[in-house]
Amino acid sequence: METASKEGELALSEVIVVTSGKGGVGKTTTTANLGVGLASQGHKVALVDADIGLRNLDVVLGLENRIVYDITDVTGGHCRLRQALIKDKRFEGLFLLPAAQTKDKTAVSPEEMKELCGELRQEFEFVIIDCPAGIEQGFRNAIAGADRAVVVTTPEVSAVRDADRIIGLLEAAELRDPKLIVNRLRSRMVRQGDMMSIEDIIDILAIDLLGVVPEDDMVVISTNRGEAVVQDDRSRSGQAYRNIVQRIKGEAVPMMNLDEGGLMYRLRRMIGLK
Amino acid sequence: MLMEIKKAAPGKGTMAFSPGDTGDLIDDNTILVQRTLRSGQKVHFDGNIVVLGDINPGAEVVATGNVIVMGSIRGVVHAGAAGDEEAVVMAFRLKPTQLRIATHITRPPDEQAGDPEQPEVARIKNGVVTIEALLTDRQGVI
Ligand SMILES: Nc1ncnc2c1ncn2[C@@H]1O[C@H](COP(=O)(O)OP(=O)(O)OP(=O)(O)O)[C@@H](O)[C@H]1O
Ligand SMILES: [Mg+2]
Repeated sequence: METASKEGELALSEVIVVTSGKGGVGKTTTTANLGVGLASQGHKVALVDADIGLRNLDVVLGLENRIVYDITDVTGGHCRLRQALIKDKRFEGLFLLPAAQTKDKTAVSPEEMKELCGELRQEFEFVIIDCPAGIEQGFRNAIAGADRAVVVTTPEVSAVRDADRIIGLLEAAELRDPKLIVNRLRSRMVRQGDMMSIEDIIDILAIDLLGVVPEDDMVVISTNRGEAVVQDDRSRSGQAYRNIVQRIKGEAVPMMNLDEGGLMYRLRRMIGLK
Repeated sequence: MLMEIKKAAPGKGTMAFSPGDTGDLIDDNTILVQRTLRSGQKVHFDGNIVVLGDINPGAEVVATGNVIVMGSIRGVVHAGAAGDEEAVVMAFRLKPTQLRIATHITRPPDEQAGDPEQPEVARIKNGVVTIEALLTDRQGVI
């Protein structure tokens, strides 16, 4: 893994965009869990909701009722960045820059986004951007200030197709080496040949695997409580997100055994651990 | 008309693929694409196209000459796009969404045949687009 090379040295101020192409595959869930996971380990993290017009990162984090200013107020010069940043209820170092609900995706330009990320990286170790679905202006804005990209997909042909499209666009935008998260995997269905396997997906996308999150009701339950499943010690999805957090930090964590078969071995080989 | 691709029976109809077979492989009108073509990307070229990577589903490659892919073809490929019936398509793994040679438009049979295990060549034979295993010839050529 690319991040392994950074081991030892402190990865300071990284701007990471979470993308997918297809909607509803888990970008917002991933952004929230990465943020909470990193902040719970004492890191200073800013989450940016770039899904302007369809904001929901604030809801997932249970912070909706604290919003006064949003990202377009900052870029439009109506308030200072500090005023718009919402401090999380639980974690000292976690902040959210909410999206505007009443504007559309052209309300922010890529240049403004770049500037904003530049400002955020002076104060935060991790800036994580929740990208809107699609390949239009909103996507271009979200990736404009990023150093790295994470691509989320589900094990469905259409989601993988869109992920492939996004990877092509990321490469064209010089965001090299995006990392993959496969979300909502159901290992029983994979075993029965009714769902794409991790191998099938990697075969097409040919990028490094950052992690695999199983389908888990706890994700929905936590989200509805305004919590992140990464804090739930008992759930498998929580464990999967904790592993992803460690890998984001550049640590080599073996893939979870989601299956009793030879899956783990294959996964480990895929990310170059074995 | 959209026809099914004909698959030569295993062991039969394999052919040695050498530059001598297709004289137009030896010219300088060839472009080398050194990356995987992903969904939404396309390459059109007046000549031959060689891809060092895959052609993913949703990607498109159109050449007036031959198309050679050192990887998997899963997208749409058109060789001989200006009407050259001699044009061929070759890949390490030939699993196209659609394969076109000259004016022949074909798709794989609906029943899944499993992954091809060896490099294959598609070309027009007796008026039908036919896929054959690519024989690696010890005497030389490929
Ligand atoms: N591993 C999982 N198991 C079960 N449910 C999940 C899982 N991951 C996400 N979900 C659910 O799927 C839905 C969509 O997730 P999410 O909002 O994170 O997707 P998104 O990619 O941000 O969507 P959009 O493109 O609309 O922004 C949510 O209801 C979420 O709770
Ligand atoms: Mg979302």
